[in-house]
Amino acid sequence: MSIKEYLKDRTVFLLINFTLYIIISGILLLININSKVILLTFCIWFFPILVYIMIEYVKQKLLYNELNHIMDHLDKKYLLTEIMKKPENIEGKLLYDVLRRANKDMHEHVNNYRDRENEYREYIETWVHEIKTPIASTRLIIENNQNDITRNIKEEVKKIEEYIEQVLYYSRSNNVSKDYLIKEVSLADLVKRVIKRNSRDFISKGIIIDIEAVEGTVYSDAKWLEFIVNQVIGNATKYNREHDGRVTISTDRNENNIVLTIEDNGIGIIDKDISRVFEKGFTGENGREFGKSTGLGLYLCKKLAEQLGLGLIITSKMGEGTRVKLIFPLGSVNLMH
Amino acid sequence: MSKIVIIEDTEKIREELKTFLIRYGYEAVAPINFENIINDTLKEEPNLILLDINLPIYDGYYICREIRKISDVPIIVVTSRDTEMDELMSMNLGADDFVTKPYNTQILLARIETILRRVQGSNIRDTLIYNDLKLNLSNGSVTYKGKVAELTKNEIKIITCLYKYKGKIVSRDDLMDFMWNADVFVDDNNLSVNVARLRKKLEGLGMQKNIETRRGLGYILP
Repeated sequence: MSIKEYLKDRTVFLLINFTLYIIISGILLLININSKVILLTFCIWFFPILVYIMIEYVKQKLLYNELNHIMDHLDKKYLLTEIMKKPENIEGKLLYDVLRRANKDMHEHVNNYRDRENEYREYIETWVHEIKTPIASTRLIIENNQNDITRNIKEEVKKIEEYIEQVLYYSRSNNVSKDYLIKEVSLADLVKRVIKRNSRDFISKGIIIDIEAVEGTVYSDAKWLEFIVNQVIGNATKYNREHDGRVTISTDRNENNIVLTIEDNGIGIIDKDISRVFEKGFTGENGREFGKSTGLGLYLCKKLAEQLGLGLIITSKMGEGTRVKLIFPLGSVNLMH
Repeated sequence: MSKIVIIEDTEKIREELKTFLIRYGYEAVAPINFENIINDTLKEEPNLILLDINLPIYDGYYICREIRKISDVPIIVVTSRDTEMDELMSMNLGADDFVTKPYNTQILLARIETILRRVQGSNIRDTLIYNDLKLNLSNGSVTYKGKVAELTKNEIKIITCLYKYKGKIVSRDDLMDFMWNADVFVDDNNLSVNVARLRKKLEGLGMQKNIETRRGLGYILP
């Protein structure tokens, strides 16, 4: 707020005073009063007005500067009314009250949505747990009646399970802190677990797996890590070639991080798609060609990795393969012995 | 024969799990009435308990804690709750292991076996005897009529698997699954090579009748 703007706001007030003064000086001139007296009247009239305007200006300026300062430094801007001093003048008080009321209403509104979201999330969690019971019985029935038909059903059931897991992690991805537990995770064990989960795909496609160079431990949440690695390894088998497919997994220890690299010699990702693979719902050329992509897998991986404080980088060459790096920074959380 | 009590309220799972465990040579009991579940279970004097968490009347955590007060019987918690927190909670209450539903049945079997072996002492399954062939799992050697040969890790896994289902045909797929579950990630060609080598080693010991190939079906240790 500059002085010019402030004065502009007071134009009407000043104009009325000037007009009145001119009228009165005219009258004074007509009745032959000394022009010095007229000048003195001007001073008596306008000096207090100017002083008043200046004081008001400074007061307002200070108030708004403070407000701006608070706003700039406030993380959650809507908390302004809780932080600011309650103004003393009548206009300020009125505005302050109106602002508080608006804020309160907004809070109720937001709470309403938050409750609804939590409710939905809880419903999804319950649903996922409920659906696991019939799936568990289906698996046991398959196991107890093994033949070609049930073997096929088993494959399909496995896919259902993967999709269900995705639902669960999707609903959790906005609120990782609620159920995560940091503990020591052996990368070799983690990778082995995931490979076993995908064993059918490796075996049926004849993909050779090399995990010789996986070693070391990190501190993170094992379940979330497993989800991320499972998505990446799943992609490595899905978008692989018909013959001589190979997936190489290795770890590197650098000065300030540990990198888990998952590399395949599959079909690769076209250049124009690579920068968008972490976007929600993006399927790209490969997704269209293979037709089984939801565009959620890598999006979720990225999101979860961010929440866990991990880096996730993907590079690829069309026709040569894809390399995914999961980076564990060596900080206070992801220590390695 | 080890006796396993299944505490599970979903009828289908209960019955199928029972059938499954019986098929793999365990004695399985699955109580239907949950009112006196703790006493009923302990009365059976089981070697191991498979415990679900979401149960009528008492929940699994409570049952686990109560059983622990009286008995040291191994407990595997089987649940659809799958976060690390749930796992930690089960372990804190004295469970020996934690398997998430819908479990991979092979993994469940492996866990049961491991725990039983630990509790019952390791001498039970360290040596496998098949006719005149003796397989020593602790040092990975086979003995046939006084002659000894060393086996590789892969060969041991193959013969263990075939031994487990002796007299039955094991399909290549099942054999492969078994190997992969034991952290041996072999591919198709590798498996054939390993089986051929194993066969040669056994023949070298003078055991002429060993692993047979049934074309299109799999392998069998007759």
